[in-house]
This record gives sequence, structure tokens and C-alpha cells, in this order.
Amino acid sequence: MSEPLLTVDAVDAAYGSASVLHQVSLRVDSGEMVFIAGRNGAGKTTLLKTIAGFMVPAAGAVRLEGRDLRGIRPENVARLGVRYVFQDKRVFSKLTVRENLELAAHPSGERMPDVVARMVSIYPAMEKFLDSKAGGLSGGQRQILLIGRALTGNPKILLVDEPTEGLAAGVIDDIFRLLSEMKGRLSMLIVEQNLPVAARLADRVYVMKEGKIFQELATRAEIEAPGALERNL
Amino acid sequence: MTERLRRIDILLIAGAFLLLLPLLKFQRATDYIIFCVFVLSFDLIYGYMGRLSFGHMLFLGAGAYGATLFADRVSPNPFLSLLFAIAAAAAVGALLGPVAVRATGAAFALINLAFNQVGHFLVLIAFARFTGGEDGMAAVFSKVGFLDFQDKRVLFGFCLACLLLTCWGMKRLTTSPFGILLRMIKENETRVKFLGYDTFRYKWAAYTLSAGVAGFSGALSILNYGYVTPSFIDTNRNVEVIFASLIGGAGSIYGSLVGGVVFMAISNYLPTYIPRWEMFLGFGLLLLVFRFRTGIWGALSALEVFRPRREGEGG
Repeated sequence: MSEPLLTVDAVDAAYGSASVLHQVSLRVDSGEMVFIAGRNGAGKTTLLKTIAGFMVPAAGAVRLEGRDLRGIRPENVARLGVRYVFQDKRVFSKLTVRENLELAAHPSGERMPDVVARMVSIYPAMEKFLDSKAGGLSGGQRQILLIGRALTGNPKILLVDEPTEGLAAGVIDDIFRLLSEMKGRLSMLIVEQNLPVAARLADRVYVMKEGKIFQELATRAEIEAPGALERNL
Repeated sequence: MTERLRRIDILLIAGAFLLLLPLLKFQRATDYIIFCVFVLSFDLIYGYMGRLSFGHMLFLGAGAYGATLFADRVSPNPFLSLLFAIAAAAAVGALLGPVAVRATGAAFALINLAFNQVGHFLVLIAFARFTGGEDGMAAVFSKVGFLDFQDKRVLFGFCLACLLLTCWGMKRLTTSPFGILLRMIKENETRVKFLGYDTFRYKWAAYTLSAGVAGFSGALSILNYGYVTPSFIDTNRNVEVIFASLIGGAGSIYGSLVGGVVFMAISNYLPTYIPRWEMFLGFGLLLLVFRFRTGIWGALSALEVFRPRREGEGG
């Protein structure tokens, strides 16, 4: 069996003395779309932050293509191809949409025309906002901008934290259409509480409870089984 | 400011400072200009990068002493002294930067204050043999071609050209990807890191650059006054540049210029009429902090007539 793209191996993490993650293990293979489900406070966001290098695991290891990411600073984890799309949809509000993209393009070395072209191709409506302040975008547009920004420099994996939280139903469809179009070409680890969507798109689902992986649904049959996700939350 | 005015802003700035001449003597007007260069240097780390320093006088002092010592011991050529002063101040910034820029908030402010205090001690006591201690030392510069900086009109023109050059450079810098990055470090440094940036390097570069420009203003002051004393590196004078930046509006080249001129006008004229003028400056600052947080330029920019119009804004 080949090495998974991302491996989280028996990771513990804590905020000071408060232990949050306990022996968490998961894997994401190349091109896979993996969801993490769980109630609030289950440790989902902490897990993403640990993978992204923002938190150092107290025990265990996070590996990208076999390389241990432990102790590597967030900016260097990002350069290795791990991109984190935050939960709160905060873009750089005082910059234009174009400048937001430029900021991401610069360290990746990708040419700006290519970055803009990709943004417009995944969401054509963004073209007319390119020179507007990103702070003026709607919540859904901001989320799409954040995803577009995270795609610069051909990342290996996207970590997406609750992409649809607080968004209108129409916009949620847009975002998942976008994510599903990337499925197979880019690995994604997505924290999501919208279970029907997760059930429709996921290659694998991990259910978290109280800082632990409570269950792994590793096949489409397991994921699509009636009530498989709801039952375990 | 509208786009049309923005395109000719360097000319407008030059015109505005020329308008000061009927009101002020050449040497005083030059003083205003030099102080504006200093405020611009401070604004790079405060207004753009979001780090408030209580020790920026250190770099002005490094430039002032650097220019004087170079003129005294190496060459009286004013241009070489200026270059040496900029390099000396930038070198001090580059040396202290790795320690300073790791801190934020009050820690950053106080670390800089501590460095400034050490610098003040060094010129006043430890290296008094070279710096003249409390008495300071005189600097004599030679003529270079037709440029004689003893002539206050020539010096005014030269300093104005230096200010315009600084404004142009700052404008280029703050609108470049580097400048955008500094503003975003101020807004949210963690997110900038997640985009793959080593923010430490950018903060260090900005700190060094700011120190170099502050040193430039210090060296110009020596050209204007012809002597240096420990007051050029005095920690108590840090409030001047902070006040000026707040009065004009931080994070804006125009705000720095407005703040520099208004602060100089207040500190020059108010003491003539009011003995304890600092108290009124304090009240003015309170008013700014509570009522006009974006300073004079920020308040003016918010007026509809100055706001640039962009199609498609919002959405």
C-alpha cells in the first residue's frame, strides 16, 4: 500500500493544561475528499490547526508524504502545500479582491494572471469584484475568495474549516459545486456539520467526539447507510 | 483624495511647503520638512505595520551622530555624511530588529524605549570622548560644487527635494506587494503566515528601512543646525513623533505630513502664548483619540468630496 498524502498518527494536543485531542489518527490519500464530522467542541478545528502547524502536538506525529511536520512553522507548512481555509471567512477586508489574490500568489511564485484566471473560472461572478474591497463581499463570496486564494501555487491539500457555516442555501450549493469539481484532483480535509452534503461527497468520514476519533466510515456504503452519520454524533 | 489629485500629489506637497515660506524663516521651514521625514519613517512601522515604538529617537540620533562624526573624522562632504548616517541608522535597526520585531504591543514599545535609553547613555556617558557628551559637537560641511548648505535657501530646497523623494519612495513602497503585506501583518499576522510568508523577515526589513529613513532625517537636522547634542537621541522626545502621527493620521503619507506640520506649528507657536502648552496638546490628543481616531487626514478623507469613486465597489 502506498504512503498516504497526509497521515495523522496518534496525535495529542492541548491548550495549556487543557487537553483537547487524544490519540487522534486519520489519513488522507491523494485526491481524496475526507470529511470530519462532530459536535461543537469535539476538537475538529484544533485538529486542523495542529496539522497546519499552528499548534505543536504534545504526542504523535503529522506527516505529509512521509515527512514529519512536527516543529515546522505554519508559514513553512503552507509552503509545503498545506493550505488552511479558516472558519470565520475573514478575508483581508481593506484590500481589493485582486490584492488578496496577489498576496497569496507572491510566496507561491504563481503568476498573477493565472491566479486571477483560475479565480474567475471557478466563480465567474468574481470578475466584476476584482478591484473592489474584499470587505464589501458577501459571506459566500468571501468563502469562495478564500478557497480561490488557497488554491494558488498548486497546493497538495486543502484544510477547510466549516465552509458553509452561516451561509444561505444557494451559496452553500455554489461552494460544494466548487469543492466537488476539485474532487479527485486535489486532496481535501473538510470539517463540516452539514451531514447530507458530507454524505453525498465524502470518500471517507471521521466522526469526532470529545477529542477522539469515534468512528471511521471508510466506504461509500458505510457513509450512505441510512442514519450512519447522524447516529454517531 | 481623488485619483486625479493623487497623480500630482508630489507637486501638491512641494507647493504646500513653499506656501510656508512667507510665514516662516528658511531655517524654521526646513525644520518642519525634516520633522515630516522623521514622521514618515515612524509611520512605516506604526501606521503600516501596526507596531507602536517608544524608541524611534534612537535612529534619528544614530543618523545625527553618524553624520556629525563622519564629517568630523572622515570627510566634510555633506552627501557622504548623509549616506553614512543612513547606513549607520539602518545598521542599528538591522542589529536590533531581530529582537524588537519578535514582540508586539506594549513589549515592542518598551523594548524600543530600552534600546533608546541605552543609546542615550552611550552618547552621553560611555562614548562621551567621541560624542562630546552633554555638550555635543559641531559639524562643519564643505561646499559641493555650487551647493553650499550654509545658505539656508539652498538647504531648504535640498531638504524639500529630500522630503519629496522620501514621499515618492514611501508611496512606491506602501503600494507594492511588500507594503500590502505590512498592512496585512497589522490586520492579522497569523493569516499572513498561513499564506506561506515568513513575516519575521518582512517586519525586520521594514524596521531596518524605517531606521534608515529616521537616520536620514537626523542627518538632515545636522545639516540644518550644524551641531549635535544628546537631545537628538533623548527618549523624552519620542512623544513628539507619536503625537504628530496621531494628529495627522497613522498609515497615510499625507497624514504624516499634516501631522508633522501641525505638531511643529503647535510646538513652535503655542509656547509663545501659553506657558504650559503641553497640557493643551494633551487635551488635543485626548480629543483625537476619542473623537477623531483617524487623525486630521483620516477625517478629511472621510468627507465625500475627497473620496475616490470606484465602480463595482461593494457588492
